[in-house]
Amino acid sequence: MHIAEGFLPPAHAIGWTIAAAPFVVHGARAVVTEVRENPESTLLLGAAGAFTFVLSAIKLPSITGSSSHPTGTGLGAVLFRPPAMALLGTVVLLFQALLLAHGGLTTLGANAFSMAVVGPWAGYAVYRLVRRSGGGLLPGVFAAMAVADLATYVTTALQLAWAHPDAASGFAGAAAKFLSVFAFTQVPLAIGEGLLGVLLFRVLVVNARPELERLGVLRRTPGPDPAPVAESTAGGER
Amino acid sequence: MTGLAIDDAAWASAWRLRSPADKLLLSGGLVLAALVLPAWPGSLLVGLAAVVLALGPARVPARTFGRAVRLPLAFILIGAVTAVVQVGDGGLGWAPDAVTRAGGLVGHAVAGSAAVLLLATTTPMSDLLPALHRMRVPDAVVEVASVTYRMLFVLLTSLSTIREAQAARMGHAGIRNSYRSSGMLAAAVLTRSWDRARRLSDGLAGRGMETGLRVLPEVLPSSPRFVASTVVGLAALVTVGVLA
Repeated sequence: MHIAEGFLPPAHAIGWTIAAAPFVVHGARAVVTEVRENPESTLLLGAAGAFTFVLSAIKLPSITGSSSHPTGTGLGAVLFRPPAMALLGTVVLLFQALLLAHGGLTTLGANAFSMAVVGPWAGYAVYRLVRRSGGGLLPGVFAAMAVADLATYVTTALQLAWAHPDAASGFAGAAAKFLSVFAFTQVPLAIGEGLLGVLLFRVLVVNARPELERLGVLRRTPGPDPAPVAESTAGGER
Repeated sequence: MTGLAIDDAAWASAWRLRSPADKLLLSGGLVLAALVLPAWPGSLLVGLAAVVLALGPARVPARTFGRAVRLPLAFILIGAVTAVVQVGDGGLGWAPDAVTRAGGLVGHAVAGSAAVLLLATTTPMSDLLPALHRMRVPDAVVEVASVTYRMLFVLLTSLSTIREAQAARMGHAGIRNSYRSSGMLAAAVLTRSWDRARRLSDGLAGRGMETGLRVLPEVLPSSPRFVASTVVGLAALVTVGVLA
């Protein structure tokens, strides 16, 4: 859920930009070191950014009839870790603002804070928690993607409530309003995106095991050297 | 056709060869004016200026511009109505100044969106990324962003081709199948993006380009007349917006 351009008063727009900045700078630092050590990761990170952008073009059928778009923040956090996601997510948000008219420039800070910082970190924390407490990969992925979406939605609703408090009941009333209005689309989306993540990883575990091992999502299994993924194994065009 | 109407419009726009810095000054000024000036008459003036400039001198197709403005409208309207509904002891009701507040919110948001769109529909992303470099964003980051931009369209094409193939095989008949197919679709696009990245980096390494993708920046000179009229226009807009 992206806050549209001009929807936040100037002070809030500046404040959220300052709040998101340290995370994005931290992510940028991580990317700079990574690229210095392995120059070829520029292309992998670029591919990750492009994938995150393209993921939002997949329409998820929703039980309520309307269709919604996955945000990919939880998936990115599991695959590429939250620091990298803080930067990639911000880049993707900038692209969405300028290529899809989705979000805005002055609200980029607020959107980055909810979608590139809070979402990925919350999703990743839950993912680690599930994995550490003995849960498998798929439950972890479901939890990460659903929680990342929910955390993003709650953060956005609170940002809006803070910027536009209720005339009578103030921040609390406004928070209740925004949380309940957007719950209609965001809660089914969170569950749908969690399911999509499970289906996605079921395919990836079979078709892209070496990549998942390289990213540290799966532990390396002893055996012959992992072969790179060939075009023909790319998930199948059903 | 790339599938992104705004990007197509940017490449075809009459302002495509204007300096990105000039266009950033104009759109940035309008965005700030939309944010800071009071909604009446500031937002109206900013919105009008953005629309007239885009459809007039920049020759952006009205259809593209109209569709793009409509996209954020659902969020803006739902958000504005939610903001002015009041939760009191007697249940829900309208806040005392509901119409003015909602009008102000919608005005600011629509004017701001139109101003951002003026930049988006006249300046391709690849012209804007060098501007990030000048804002002292690290090279590695700008490069990742430009790879993202360039790879986007390939992946979007893969996505629609695979989806078409799935749909032709009844892969999206019913919710269950549709979810299964969407999962496979996402996985296929992801593995393809990795595969492409690997093949690209192999290809570049084979040509000795290991430190990055060096491309000659296109020289788009700034026009003093454009800058002068931008400054005068913005100043006039702010004066009217503040005084009225």
